[in-house]
This record gives sequence, C-alpha cells and structure tokens, in this order.
Amino acid sequence: MTTLLRSAPSTKARTSTGVRGRPLLRTSYEQDLALANTPAKRRSMIGLIVASFVVPFLLTDDLLQVLTLGMISAVGAIGLNLVTGYAGQVSLGHAFFIGLGAYTGAVLGGDPDGSIVGYGLPIWVWLPAAGVVAAVAGLIVGPVAVRLRGLYLAIVTLGLVFLGDHVFREARSITGGPGVGRRGAQLEIFGIDFHAMEPIEGISRNQAQFLLALVFLIVFAILGRNIARSGVGRAFGAIRDRDVAAAVIGVDLTKYKIMAFAMSSFFAGVTGALYYAVIGVFEPGAFSLLLSIQYIAMVLIGGVATISGSIMGAMFIALLPRISQFIAAYIPGELLTVFQLEAILYGALIIVFLIFEPRGLYGIWLRIRNYWKGWPFSY
Amino acid sequence: MSTPRTLPQHIRARAQQTPDRIAMREKDFGLWEEVTWAEYWDRSVLVGHALLALGVEVGDRVAIHSENRREWLYSDIGITAIRAATVGLYPTNPAPEVLHVLRDSGSCVLIAEDQEQVDKYLEIADELPDLRTVVYIDPRGIRGRYDHPALMFWDDFIALGEQHRAEHPDAVTERLEAATPEDLATLVYTSGTTGPPKGAMLTMANIEFVIGVLASGEAFVEPPAGDHDLIVSYLPLCHVAERLFTTWFNAAVGTQVNFAESIETVQQALREVQPTLLFGVPRIWEKIAAGVHIRMSGATWFKRKVYDFWMKRAAWIGRTLVENEGNHTIATRIVYAVGWLVLYRPLRERLGLAKVRYAASGAAPIAPEVLEFFMGIGVPMHEVYGMTENSAIATANRAGRVKVGTVGEPQIGAEVRIDEKTGEILTRHAGTFAGYWGRPEATAETIDEDGWLHTGDVGEWVDGTHVKITDRIKDIIITAGGKNISPSEIENSLKASPYIKEAIVIGDRRKYLTALIGIEMDTVGNWAQQRKIPFTTYRDLSEKPEVVELVQSIVDETNRKFASVETIKRFRLLPKELDHEEGELTATQKIKRSAIATVFADLIESMYSDEKSQVSA
Repeated sequence: MTTLLRSAPSTKARTSTGVRGRPLLRTSYEQDLALANTPAKRRSMIGLIVASFVVPFLLTDDLLQVLTLGMISAVGAIGLNLVTGYAGQVSLGHAFFIGLGAYTGAVLGGDPDGSIVGYGLPIWVWLPAAGVVAAVAGLIVGPVAVRLRGLYLAIVTLGLVFLGDHVFREARSITGGPGVGRRGAQLEIFGIDFHAMEPIEGISRNQAQFLLALVFLIVFAILGRNIARSGVGRAFGAIRDRDVAAAVIGVDLTKYKIMAFAMSSFFAGVTGALYYAVIGVFEPGAFSLLLSIQYIAMVLIGGVATISGSIMGAMFIALLPRISQFIAAYIPGELLTVFQLEAILYGALIIVFLIFEPRGLYGIWLRIRNYWKGWPFSY
Repeated sequence: MSTPRTLPQHIRARAQQTPDRIAMREKDFGLWEEVTWAEYWDRSVLVGHALLALGVEVGDRVAIHSENRREWLYSDIGITAIRAATVGLYPTNPAPEVLHVLRDSGSCVLIAEDQEQVDKYLEIADELPDLRTVVYIDPRGIRGRYDHPALMFWDDFIALGEQHRAEHPDAVTERLEAATPEDLATLVYTSGTTGPPKGAMLTMANIEFVIGVLASGEAFVEPPAGDHDLIVSYLPLCHVAERLFTTWFNAAVGTQVNFAESIETVQQALREVQPTLLFGVPRIWEKIAAGVHIRMSGATWFKRKVYDFWMKRAAWIGRTLVENEGNHTIATRIVYAVGWLVLYRPLRERLGLAKVRYAASGAAPIAPEVLEFFMGIGVPMHEVYGMTENSAIATANRAGRVKVGTVGEPQIGAEVRIDEKTGEILTRHAGTFAGYWGRPEATAETIDEDGWLHTGDVGEWVDGTHVKITDRIKDIIITAGGKNISPSEIENSLKASPYIKEAIVIGDRRKYLTALIGIEMDTVGNWAQQRKIPFTTYRDLSEKPEVVELVQSIVDETNRKFASVETIKRFRLLPKELDHEEGELTATQKIKRSAIATVFADLIESMYSDEKSQVSA
C-alpha cells in the first residue's frame, strides 16, 4: 500500500522536458553514479583522451618510452589503490603479484625458439592469463587479510615478496636466474609487431608502444573506476572506514577482502606481463621490496582511493629518474650519484606528501578545482 | 470533451492531451521524482473519490495543513473536482490560529502533513465537532502511536478512493461536469495584520478568470510562459500568490512545478532546478542578497576584490536599467557580457538564478535597492501587485517597461482606478472575490455597488501608465504637526541594508518619527565576529554599543534620502526576534503593528520620554 505514492515512477517511457543543462537535477540514481556525472567532467575527459593521442607526435622517443612505462605502471598502481586505497588493506606484496604476471606472460607469450621456455601464444591468451594467475595467487592470500589488519597484514604481505624473490631466483628454467634474466612476451597484435623499428608505416616503435599503452591504460582505468563506483567499491570503502561497522551493515568481510586482493592482483598481473614485454629483457632481482615501495609511493603521492590519482602518481614516479637527473646537474662535485639522489627523493617525497598533502597530487588538484568550483564564494 | 471551464477540468484536459509530459517533481531521498499529467489527474481523482466516500457534499470545506508537496496539489484538485472548497492553512500557524480557521470555515475534513500538524489538531480537537476526519500524509510518529478515531493515513485514504472508484466509477466525473462558475473553489484566509484572519471566497469563475489571463500570454512573463518553464514552489500554497504561481500557472500553461524536500532545502533545490520563473516575497529577495553578502565576506582576498569590482559595475548596470525601464544600452550590454564571464554567471548559478528569465517580487513592498542588485547581476526583476481579494490580478511590471518603485501597469482584463478623494487603489474584473466567508458587512465595506474592489492601498499614477503604491491606508502616519507620512517607504529603505531585518517606523500623533529596528542575526553576527566582538544571544548582540553605532550609520544614511519631517530622530533595537507564534508577525511575516505597539510600549515611550520631561520642565 505504501508504494502508492512513494514508489518510483513507473517504467513506461516519459518525456521529461526542460531539464537540459541542469546537471544537478537528478531523476535517477544512475545519473548520480555515472562515470562522468557532470558535463564539465565529460568534456574534460574527452579532451584529455584526445590530447593524449596527440602526445606521441610531439615528444622525443626517449621521453615517450618513459611515459609508456609510466602508463603501464599506472594500471598496477590502480590495482594497488583498489586494495590499499579503497579497501584499506595495506599490501607490500604488490611486487610479488607483478612478478607472477610478468613470468606467466613471458612463459606463455615468449619466443618458442628462445633459450628459455616459451610457448609463443598470442597476446589475447598471455595477457589475461597473466592477470588470472596473479588473481588466483591473490585469492590464496586474501583469507589472510580477513584475519589480520594494518601493520600485521603489511608484514605478512612483505613475507610474500621475499618468498617470491627466492622462488624467482631459483626457478632458473623459467626466469633465467639472477644476473641472466630472460626475454618478455612477444608483442604482436593484429600482425603488428610492436618490437619492430617501424611497426606501422610512418610510426616509430616508441610511438606505437605509447599508443598501445594508452589504450591499455584507458581500458583498465575505466574498469577500475567502474569497480570503485559500483556496489563493490562502496563495500570496499565501508571496510576501509571501519570493518566492524561494515560487517554490521551487511558487508561480507571475507568475500570483499578476498575480492579486493584478487582484483588488485589481476591488475598487477597484467601490468607485469605488459611492462616487461615492452622492456624486453628482465631478471628476477626486479621484483624486490623496492618495487613494492615504488608502487606504494605512486599511490601515496598520487592520491589514496582515486583512479586519476593513481595515474598521476605513476606518471610522476616514472618521470622521477628524469627529474633527479635534472637536479643532479645542479649538485656540485661527486657528493651524490643520480641513483642516490633518486632514492633520497623517493623517501623525501613520501614523507612530505604524507605530512603535508595526505590526499596526494589528486588532493592538490582537488583544492584547485574547489577554488574555481565555489567561485565567487569560498564556501 | 468540452472546453475546460473549471480548474480541475483544466488538469483533466492536460492529462488527456499530454499524459506523459511532466507536471511536477518532488525531491525525495535525493532524487527528483517526476509526476506526469496523467498521474497528477489520476491521484486527484482518487482524492475526490476518497472524499466522496467520506461523505463530503457540494459546498463543503476541506482544509489542507501542509508544506508545499505533491499531495497539496492532488488534494486541491481532488477537492474542487467534487465541488467542495479548499481551505489552506499556513504550516507555521500555531494551534489557536488553526482553531480559528477550521472553526470559522467549518471544515469537515482536514488533510494534515505530519505529526507536527496532527498534534496541533489534537490540541483543539474537542472544539471542532464538525471536523470528522483528519488525513495525515507522513506517518512518522503517528502510525501505531496515536489512536484518535478521526485519524486516517494517506495511503488508506487513497485506498478508500480506489474502492469507491471501483464501486462508483463515474461519481467524480458527474460532480465535475455539474460544476458551476459560482461554486466556491477556495477560502483564502487573509494574513490578518489588523484582526483575526478573514476567509476570502474565491469562486470557480474567479480562478477561471486568472487562468484565462495567464493563458492569454500577456500576463507577467514575456515571452509567454509555457510547458518548458520550471518553477520552484516554496512559499506557502495557502497564500494566493504562491497558488497563482504554482497551481494556476501550471493549469493554465503547463509550467513544471518542483517541490523541495523541505523548506530548509529550498536554496539547494533552487540550485538543482535552476528555475526559469521565480516568484519571491521581498523577505526572500532580501535574504538571498544578504546571504551573498555574508558568504562573500568570508571569501579569499582575490575573490573579494573581483567581487567588489564587478558588483560596482553591476550597481551601475542596475541603475542604468532602472533608468531605461529595464532595457539594456549598448554600454551596459558590453560591460555585462564581460562581467557575466567573470562573476555574474557563476554567482547566479550558485544562487539558482542562472536560468531565471522572469523574477517577480510581490505581496509586500520592496526596496528599490534590492531590485537594483538583482537587475545588476542580470536577473530580470519585476515588481507585481495583487491581493487575495482580486485573485492576485491587478498590476504588473512588464519586460522592457519596468518602472522601479511602481508595481506596474494594469493586467490585461483588469480595470484599475485611483479614488480621487482618498487616493485608494480600486480594481474591477471577473476575478474580484465573492466576499468574506460569513462576514457580509466586511464584504460590503470592500466591494462597492459598482463592483469596485477597495484594496486598502493608497497609490498614484506614474506617467499615466504605472501605479505606485504609497502605503496601506491604515498604516499612514499623521504626525502631531499634521503631516502625512508613509512609513513603509522609510522602512524599506532601512531594510535594504543587509544588517537590518525588521524596521517599524512610529510617529502617529507624535512630534517626530522614531523606529524600532531588528537586526539580521546572521549578517550582524558575522560582522561582529570579524571585528572580534564577543556576543552570546540576539539580545546581547543588539545591546552592543558597536552594533547600535552600525545601525545608527544606516539610519543616518536613510535620513539623508528623506525630507526632514520624515527623518528618524531616534531608534531602539528590538531585544528579540519577532515571531509568528507570539503574535508579533502574521503567517506571511508581516508585522502586526498593534501587537508591536503593546508588546514594546516601554521601548516606544522611552524614545519620546526625554522630550516629555523637557516639556514638563
């Protein structure tokens, strides 16, 4: 009976008139949850994507490669942000999942005639497979997270990294062993070989790889955003804010914590496979604690629990060697090497952001946006 | 189907012609739920059936005591569809006033919104034997707690209507077709500044006249309003002005009505809906302007500078528009275009005025400064005039022919005359009300033998086309020196300041004018905070010497605009905010001068006391 007047409007088509240009007048929750819920967001998103496709034709090849790797790492950062930022489960084990993805991709998509095992399968197989293998590993780790919180979870996931590091070093038939390494998967899509000097007439290798990475990032960024804005994302947020309260309002902690790890690991897996396919040769030492910390830095510097923040953070970290080279030129004598400077910058940036801008680069952007959003008022 | 002759028939016609277009929206749980014309009519018919099931006869009165919401309109149309009359009550009415209206009108059914209104009824239930049923819309706090036999939940009421419709499918239609123009459609209770509220009887013919004027395309809005126009309904629907802008406009031309979640969220609703037509009483416009003032004073340095710079330009644009009857010159257009990019567009967007193509102020006099402020930022403001007794149709400023300080030209179909002897404004048209409910002698005083309505307002012609209102006849002050002074002009000039909420000029049969002034707590509080003046309550703030000084400076500024007999020699700040519950204001926030004169007698006398001692000395 109460449905008589309180109920939602019937499903029959109705002609709503005169509400165009009123983005705040919402008549359904779908509008509220939309990917780009304001015209300004929609316009700037389209503008940004179009601009990104023009970038490779404006920059030099060496810078393009840095950006390409940055964009691929961004997908991994989004993955880490899902589990650490959105769901609040601190994970130091990201390097392990990335390593799993990298070796799965390399084995399945590697050159069958090479010195180390490879099956030469197409990218359609090895890229998803890399994600799935990592996700399965995430499923196994997930239950641990159900029982542990905060620092304890961080320590346990840290253990994963050492475990992985050892296995990768010893499994020489797959990884080539330390100091030697192996080649990544072959990058061939629609018959275009992205390792060739000029994969498509008039487009250099770096330009082509940039575009490939851009498409890869767009697909996974939208996927990540969709996870974050759906019921799953809201469940993650509830767990992060207070897991007991989340359980009380009906969020299944076991299910969602495991899901968070599985999804995050999937993102890590595909990132690992593609990243090292682009790099070419890699060795087991790459998947150490340092890599995990790099990803944590991306998330913290970019912005916790935001997709665009993850991308900003990843690009920033990818460009950091360039920046430290630039700064090193001004540091006199033999005081510091570029690598030392880079390490110092990592540490300093993480500390500075945690203290002064906990919401990361995204927080800075948010502040700028709100300044104009409130115009001419301040509140 | 014949052409519609009554208000509910108009709704039915729209439901048949454009069943799927949007008639109204209401925000509920964060979403604007849309109601089509077909649903609007269907709900209204169910209300009609339910009332028939409750035994409501032709000519009976049914009261509605609710904030603006969809059910208000369903009820209004349902009631009139079965030839009963709607009696609206202000949601803020305290129980004794509710009792007066319900007893005076002899209502047999009351539709009360929620627990608050039901509680008021229960307080006075014993004195209302004629009131058989009380329908409550919002069950929170009522269902399962109250077991008064007269109470009925809205959904049960509608179910009753459905059952009745199944048994007598044509019952409402029969009544609808039998309606005559003389049928009483609604009782609108006047605000009662001078005595207990009187119920003005508006007939079907009166409303039909208004709908005709609105549908003619030559009333108020230019270009004419249509079904692409949105309005936000937020002022009390029992007042004739909001009824015109909400129900009658909606029926006449199909404007889409939007209801906020509650009265507190109107600002937010305005931002979301961005209405194209907006009606407000002066208090609302003053409050919006004061709100801008407060929020800007808290803005960052750069934003403040930009705002100050462009508001100076806006003031100039406003003045030029006032001089040009609301028309732009080339210079103002260019300045406005630049200012639009920098300030006016975002400012209007924040206020919910971005898409307003017609804004009107009425129901009380407004200070020209306030109109200028809005015209300067690009909101086309129009002062309009009308009253319950002439169905709110008298005069209006029209786009491009705005004379600030006047209430505009006579509306189409309306005769307006100014009595040569008394200066009283008289109107005559088919919308003139049928009389006061149960008060033939009061009716005879208001409508003369020739059908002219005596408005009780004194006015004059400006340039032979526009009417300027001086004041209410009863409010004109005659000083001890024999000079006639209109207090409202001085009061409005004072109230144009964002720091002043109320101003009451006193001086009838006195040697000089004085004023009681009430400060605006928000702005003055903000002002005091910025000057690090500590304060606790309204009274404490009013008593601060700095605040008295601030008000003094505003009074001085006003005094400069008036002749010396019209200057305010002394003033006192009110120690409390005036309140409807305590009988100092009417439901429409108008001041009851007689009540003020008794409540604050000491304060008033203190302004004249020294003089007496001087005289006696």
